[in-house]
Amino acid sequence: MDRLLTGLRLAPASLLVAAGLFAAVPAAAGDAGKGRAVFAQQCAMCHSAARGGATILGPTLFGVVGRPVASVGGFAYSSGMKAQGGAWTADRLRAYLPAPRAMVPGTKMSFGGLKNPTQLDDLVTYLGSLK
Amino acid sequence: MRQTSSAAFALLVLAGVALATPGAAMAAEPAQTAAPQREIPQSLIFEHGETLDRLTALAKRPGKVGAAASRALGLFKRHTAREMEYILPPLALLPDMADGKVTPDMAWALVMCDRVKADREQIFQEHTQVTDAMNALLVAGEEAHDQDAIEFARSAAGDSLNDIEVLEPTVLLIGDYLRSRLPTAH
Repeated sequence: MDRLLTGLRLAPASLLVAAGLFAAVPAAAGDAGKGRAVFAQQCAMCHSAARGGATILGPTLFGVVGRPVASVGGFAYSSGMKAQGGAWTADRLRAYLPAPRAMVPGTKMSFGGLKNPTQLDDLVTYLGSLK
Repeated sequence: MRQTSSAAFALLVLAGVALATPGAAMAAEPAQTAAPQREIPQSLIFEHGETLDRLTALAKRPGKVGAAASRALGLFKRHTAREMEYILPPLALLPDMADGKVTPDMAWALVMCDRVKADREQIFQEHTQVTDAMNALLVAGEEAHDQDAIEFARSAAGDSLNDIEVLEPTVLLIGDYLRSRLPTAH
């Protein structure tokens, strides 16, 4: 957001326009190419990123953004994940991935979390590109 | 690697019995606290030995694979020590329990089951560290085209998930079941 606002002299009306714009735009645009590398290092052991990819230890992440939470057939989700409801969005993934167990108590994803914000943006951007 | 199907079966047996046994929570106190060294299921001893051997061999390899395996080995030993101390011994009671035999001399397991329940989050965090280590080993293995390392990392991650999904919940159910069946003095 800050990057987009730099150099602009915004009147109140344009601020409102900008606010509307940001509601529809991801919080920070990452680099999908770098996100792919993050995925390979942090996620690929358990998750496929391929269209029609099989469940490994976790469900495929192809098409995860926009998909209802806990909706991949053939994967035994935790009751905590099933109770989340709604759909995965980029913002929701940004909230979940740094500390999965904090957001979804009982999740069985034994991943400590992706703490680096740049890597997180890159990864979420990459996940969003999987469609 | 792990005896997932048998553990899952035991879990189902216990769940069924617990549901059919009202008042399961009326237990009193855990049994003795200073239990002697307890047996653990032989299949798990075998599995731990095999995992230790494979990881020790990987840790001797040069470069990133060896370094990643060495770190994983330290975590594995720490986690195994915890498992041997109080997570796995109650599982040795499962065959008798599945045969309907519950005797007061099984009460030693209650302390362990309670401890697993109390430490569950800490145990989970230990699994996340194992997962991180396996991710690192997988990446190192792929860079080095080391198929042994790659296969080991995936297999160990699967074992870790099995612990979370099946093994540790089974221990908790063993505790609940024993409480429901033992005399109230226990």
